[in-house]
Amino acid sequence: MQKRIRRRYARERRFRLFGLAAVTLSAAFLAFLLITMVANGWRGFTRTDVALTIDFPASGMVVERTQLATPGADLALAGAGLENTVKGAAATAFGAGGEEFISESAWLRVREAIKHDPSVLDRKVTLDVPASTEIDQAVRGDGNAEVKAAAAKLQQAGALSRHFNMDFLYESDSTDPVAVGIWGALKGSLLTMAVTFLIAFPVGVLSAIYLEEYAPKNRWTDLIEVSINNLAAVPSIIFGLLGLAVFLGSWSLFGYQFGPLLPRSAALVGGLTLALMIMPVIVIASRNAIKSVPPSIRDAALGIGASPIQVVFHHVLPLAMPGILTGTIIGMARALGETAPLLLIGMRAFIVTPPGGFTDPATVLPVQIFLWSDEVSRGFVEKTSAAIIVLLVFLLAMNGLAIYLRNKFETRW
Amino acid sequence: MNAFALLFLIAGLGLIGWLTARARANRFDRGGAKRLHSLPGQHGMYVAMWTILPALLFVAVWSALSPGLIKQAVLEHPAAAQLPQFAFERDALLAEAKRVASEHAATAFDPVAEQLVAPTRSAQTYYGWMGTGVAILLAFAGAAFALTRVGAHFKARSQVERGVMVLLLVASLIAILTTLGIFLSLLWESLRFFQQVPITDFLFGTHWSPQVIDAADPGKSLGAVPLFWGTFFIGAVIAMIVAIPFGLMSAIYLTQYAAPRVRRWMKPTLEMLAGVPTVVYGYFAALTVAPAVRDLAVSFGYTYASSESALAAGLVMGVMIIPFVSSMADDSIAAVPTAMRDGSLAMGATTSETISRVLIPAALPGVVAGVLLAVSRAIGETMIVVMAASGAANITLNPFESATTVTKQIVDLLTGESEFDSPKTLAAFALGLTLFVITLLLNIVALRVVKKYREAYE
Repeated sequence: MQKRIRRRYARERRFRLFGLAAVTLSAAFLAFLLITMVANGWRGFTRTDVALTIDFPASGMVVERTQLATPGADLALAGAGLENTVKGAAATAFGAGGEEFISESAWLRVREAIKHDPSVLDRKVTLDVPASTEIDQAVRGDGNAEVKAAAAKLQQAGALSRHFNMDFLYESDSTDPVAVGIWGALKGSLLTMAVTFLIAFPVGVLSAIYLEEYAPKNRWTDLIEVSINNLAAVPSIIFGLLGLAVFLGSWSLFGYQFGPLLPRSAALVGGLTLALMIMPVIVIASRNAIKSVPPSIRDAALGIGASPIQVVFHHVLPLAMPGILTGTIIGMARALGETAPLLLIGMRAFIVTPPGGFTDPATVLPVQIFLWSDEVSRGFVEKTSAAIIVLLVFLLAMNGLAIYLRNKFETRW
Repeated sequence: MNAFALLFLIAGLGLIGWLTARARANRFDRGGAKRLHSLPGQHGMYVAMWTILPALLFVAVWSALSPGLIKQAVLEHPAAAQLPQFAFERDALLAEAKRVASEHAATAFDPVAEQLVAPTRSAQTYYGWMGTGVAILLAFAGAAFALTRVGAHFKARSQVERGVMVLLLVASLIAILTTLGIFLSLLWESLRFFQQVPITDFLFGTHWSPQVIDAADPGKSLGAVPLFWGTFFIGAVIAMIVAIPFGLMSAIYLTQYAAPRVRRWMKPTLEMLAGVPTVVYGYFAALTVAPAVRDLAVSFGYTYASSESALAAGLVMGVMIIPFVSSMADDSIAAVPTAMRDGSLAMGATTSETISRVLIPAALPGVVAGVLLAVSRAIGETMIVVMAASGAANITLNPFESATTVTKQIVDLLTGESEFDSPKTLAAFALGLTLFVITLLLNIVALRVVKKYREAYE
């Protein structure tokens, strides 16, 4: 008897330990994921610069000074062979092969410096320009011995410095990992989110109001209800197929052949597709919020002569709004992290200029992460992780806002 | 006129209508009545509704119709005679002309397209102004009609409320139209696919190699069984081996053992696992987990280990799914009345015995439904398998070998360069239809399980 009880208690302890292990391991996995991303990614926010001495008068570069103040300055400097001048200066400063030490985009930094202060063209100046990916990696202890030795030599000469890479937040996609930035993708994400919100929110809330407050209980409303619940569980990639077939496919109607209704890879199409995806989330959350408003409030309003529409828009909706907003923010967070449907509708193009409007070719943050993850260059690994950090910060902020709203406005009737 | 300017104009006209009608209603002769039926603001809303809605409706229809009309007009231009007969090239040239005409591009590369720029531009201007004109006319006509009806005894409120009801109904119809749209567009493209490839070849063929399709018998290389198997193996076997024990034990620990403070912190933490974007999981799987799994396989003496193994994708997917299982299990365990738990404990059972003999059996429908929903989630999951699983279609039981899934193939088929009507592209829609039907069935079964077997406690 004693033995049996001991055995049962031992099993109880084991069971409890299993439970604890399950929770701990799940949390540990999350921690491991986040730590890996941060460890890989924080370097993406910094950059190694090389101090490069350029002797402009000796370079023989001829630039029309008058053009430097005009919008044609970029073209004039490129035409004068600035790129070669900078490469030549690197070769002079660091010996043969020295141009390998500076980034492909280093001359762009020099161009900005000249535009900022044209007088540098008359002297010998030392400018900080981005180091090449190889040097950047070598400083951190990666890469082959030859590059490492070169980097060590540069370091001894005091030519290397590390900075916070502001350009990562301002630039767009590029083939050179040193020069890439996330602004283009971020702007695309914001435009896409704007379209998604403008469509999904009003339609979702209005249909929730109809279904919850006015719909007669019959086969039609059952059908609408079932299809909304099913839509919430349809895999996201199916919405990509829908967007591709409906918005970007060709149609024929009344003998007219229509081309694609909307431009490919634009924020407008992405936003529409994501709006269809998160609409059911908003509808379900809004219905729950409306349902939790007690009937006595409706009765009171009806009792003093309000019409059914007035009851809803003046009384029920304001009270349900915190719940509706919480659901909407969660849905928007889901849309912000979504990648697969956007791949299908072509938002995977290589885009170097941030989109100017809803119909310009654009890409979004998760797709940018996906595209960078395919790049073989070592430099892209940390840029990918850095972009992931930015995405996670946005998502955490949105979820935090949702939790805050829920806690602040939670009412028990 | 550009679309935004037009929308602003219409909205502005609506505002003017609202202000006018409200001002007029303020001066209504009450004719002895103590109160009028409608408030001035409601008269305003009525006029604004009549000003905005017909014009807006027309703009929507027009923006769908006018590209076709413009194309027709351009094709009737003499310069269009030089266009090639082949539809695909012709559309490319027309699109180029359109890009230049709308000033998205500086110049056209093709001389024929360059010649079409002027006619395209003039057609765009013509139809654009025609649309704008009619829209504004409709706005004025609507406003005039509404203003003539507004009067002291006019029941503006009922009219406005009827309009609002219609708006609500339309909004809720959009949901059903989306479902219908998904189903019909998938079905339509799939039917075109099945005209070229027999459905039996697709559903029961065991050879999948869409890169090389035999033109004479495309069905030979488009057998989807390896994809179905890979999807099932990764999503329903490997991922569930991770997700079910972890999810269930987490839910049990958090509901039964954990201190309230621990629970308050751990539950949102676990839910964060579901909030991490799948592209992040995919990156993590490809960068960290897959090499580790390959090294593990090599250390087991398995030399042909793939770095795109089914195991790596399945493991990460399982972790992603944990919160789905745990929150469903959590809810259904919490729904079991405490009296049952207390009864079992009072009989001398240990907590673990109570859980496994009383709570879990009572909560089983909810748990099963949660698992079914998790499976449906896992087989529809895309980014993890796109980034971590292989493209090679194998039927294998070895988790270290590579496997591919339906979703990965859809992405691969549609992101390559290929024309829109080839069996290759259409196959993606057939795969999508299969995926849609399977996940739909899983959801329906899950809901049925919950409805039918839920014990009703008082």
